[in-house]
Amino acid sequence: MSDMVLDAASAMPRARRAVSTRIAGAAILLALVAFAAFGPLLAIDPARQDLRNMLAPMGGEYLLGTDHLGRSILARLAHAARLSLGFATLALLAAAIPGTLLGVIAAWSGGWIDRALSILADMILALPGLLLVLVLAAFAPGDIRVLFMGVSVALWVEFFRVARASAAGVLASPEVEAARLLGFGPAHIVRRHVAPRIVPVLATLAAFGVGGAVVTISTLSFIHVGVRPPTPEWGNMIVELLPYFEEAPAHALAPAGCIFLLLIALNLLAGQDPR
Amino acid sequence: MSLLIEDLSVAGPQGRIIHGVSLSAAPGAPLTLIGETGSGKSLVAAAVMGTLPAGLSATGRVRLEETELLTLPPAARRGLWGRRIALLPQEPWLSLDPTMKAGPQVEEVLGLVRDEAPAAARRGATRLLAALGLGAQATSRYPFQLSGGMAQRVAIAATQAAGATLLLADEPTKGLDEALRDELADTLRARAAAATVLTITHDIALARALGGTVAVMLEGRVVESGPAAEVLDTPRHAYTRRLVAADPSRWPPADPAPPGAATVVSGRGLACGFRARRLFSDLHIDVRAGEIVAVSGPSGCGKTTLGNALLGLMRPAAGTVARSEAAPTRFQKLYQDPPAAFAPHATLRTALADLARRHDVPWARIAPLLARLRLSPALLDRLPGQISGGELQRFALARVLLLDPLFLFADEATSRLDPVTQQEVMELLRAQVTERGLGVLLVTHETALAKAVAVRHVMLGVEP
Repeated sequence: MSDMVLDAASAMPRARRAVSTRIAGAAILLALVAFAAFGPLLAIDPARQDLRNMLAPMGGEYLLGTDHLGRSILARLAHAARLSLGFATLALLAAAIPGTLLGVIAAWSGGWIDRALSILADMILALPGLLLVLVLAAFAPGDIRVLFMGVSVALWVEFFRVARASAAGVLASPEVEAARLLGFGPAHIVRRHVAPRIVPVLATLAAFGVGGAVVTISTLSFIHVGVRPPTPEWGNMIVELLPYFEEAPAHALAPAGCIFLLLIALNLLAGQDPR
Repeated sequence: MSLLIEDLSVAGPQGRIIHGVSLSAAPGAPLTLIGETGSGKSLVAAAVMGTLPAGLSATGRVRLEETELLTLPPAARRGLWGRRIALLPQEPWLSLDPTMKAGPQVEEVLGLVRDEAPAAARRGATRLLAALGLGAQATSRYPFQLSGGMAQRVAIAATQAAGATLLLADEPTKGLDEALRDELADTLRARAAAATVLTITHDIALARALGGTVAVMLEGRVVESGPAAEVLDTPRHAYTRRLVAADPSRWPPADPAPPGAATVVSGRGLACGFRARRLFSDLHIDVRAGEIVAVSGPSGCGKTTLGNALLGLMRPAAGTVARSEAAPTRFQKLYQDPPAAFAPHATLRTALADLARRHDVPWARIAPLLARLRLSPALLDRLPGQISGGELQRFALARVLLLDPLFLFADEATSRLDPVTQQEVMELLRAQVTERGLGVLLVTHETALAKAVAVRHVMLGVEP
């Protein structure tokens, strides 16, 4: 009894700090999601060019100014947010779900299944993730489906590795041995014993994964193999605005700031594990 | 060099936990705190050490020689660690650095805490370890290559290295078998001649062996204290009497199994172990319905392996295991560390409900079983980590009894419990053995416990 009281007392300040950073992270993320969801509805067409108003300064007719073709930066950022967040979330799910399932299967079955999956994972891990996406993207530059595939193929390995390692530890523990002796099957063991252990770890990994996917797609745009103009994307907006950095430095910083905010939000959300 | 604790209280957000404890110890007069888990004995040590968990605060006086510890700022208290106060942690083989050889771990203390030159530190460490009977061969091994007793002596040498004259030993016999326990008692007693030793334990035999003063704690209060022999031989407080009577050597003898009882599990010509090291070979063992068979022996002799082989959790290297014809779920196991055998995130109600659903057991059968095992229904909504080890072990027993087992392998099932709780759990288990005709294989490192409860007793030894 008193042990419990002690644990609760000693864990409290840290847990509370962790909760407040999480709230901050969630608030920023929510704001970005709202921007992605509703921004495009309110703002004007991101492709409309106002050629008399090129590189208009911030705070005038256009809230965040215009780019070199006189397009509203605010509208383009909103559309890009939709693309980046949507793309990153989908790519992440496409990586996390099979990665986790395969990880648990490998840990559960051991033997040649585990070895085969691990070797496959190691092979993919041996290539830097960006390089892998780059190779795939080079076959069909600008094709969003290829980018999606590339990011997922690079990302699933992390989920596989982490799920496999955490699940293996749980599966070897007395609690699982006891559950097996008590007649419980795999579904129960995964639900009651494995999932509660690996989900928090994987959630952290997922938050970092979304950030990684957004940076990857922006990086690819930056080196001209990613999303093609005129589709607005944070990475290619930086590329487009970079030549005008001298005249309008804040303009190029706006998309960079969006990426920065998103990464900060995800890190705040994931970085502080209360346990 | 003496330690004086006067009117020490510890309070947390929910109120006082330790109520006005006054005790003293000095070189040659060690102090031993005994009591059940949660009685507050570890908090007293934490208050002396200055490691109370956040949110708890101590009042009263704790004097180490001329220094008043409680009023010192935290940094100054940390400065005393190693130099004047040292802690011998629980299960020291877990707190030694697994990537460092034993000798350097002691050298490190001399080098970093006492600022000695490497050569001097090496000489000092060798001397300290040799005094504890650890020669060059032992000190050049890694912790995992040392026996529990040797690892403990390395840890003791490390506590001595920086010159601490107050040694706090936290459950020093936890996880040690009898022979190692006696060895540890000798080592600690020798140390107590030169330093002030404060030991926290629920091991009555250790308290007796250490001598000095014994203080019995219950619910945050010292209920009885005095010279060890006096307190333990003629206990005055009711709790102390229960504690002393809980020693297995004082239990009533076991009932023999009813004649003609069927054999539930038998092993013939069993051998287990790896090629290089045979744990045991050509072992015959039978467990019949309604009897307890004990297996004991030192750590690492293959006790658990034998039980797992009988349960079918692993295949023996040679020999055959025959189990009576019945559903596999009627062969069950109780674990040494109860919290490790439950899913930590599910309440006990969920755990039992899952089991009832899986095996179509009506919930109506669970309530009387819990009552029989003296488990309050209020505990059902707690998580496994939120109840005591004794309660959780009784839940583990309830869980397996729901499946109407024929055979139960109790793997050190009471070794982490304090004596009173151990007796409680064992009595309930024995009652089930008689009532249901359950066959039990009890694995324990405590010979006294094995003798007290078993009709037959198998001793395993470590083969060379």
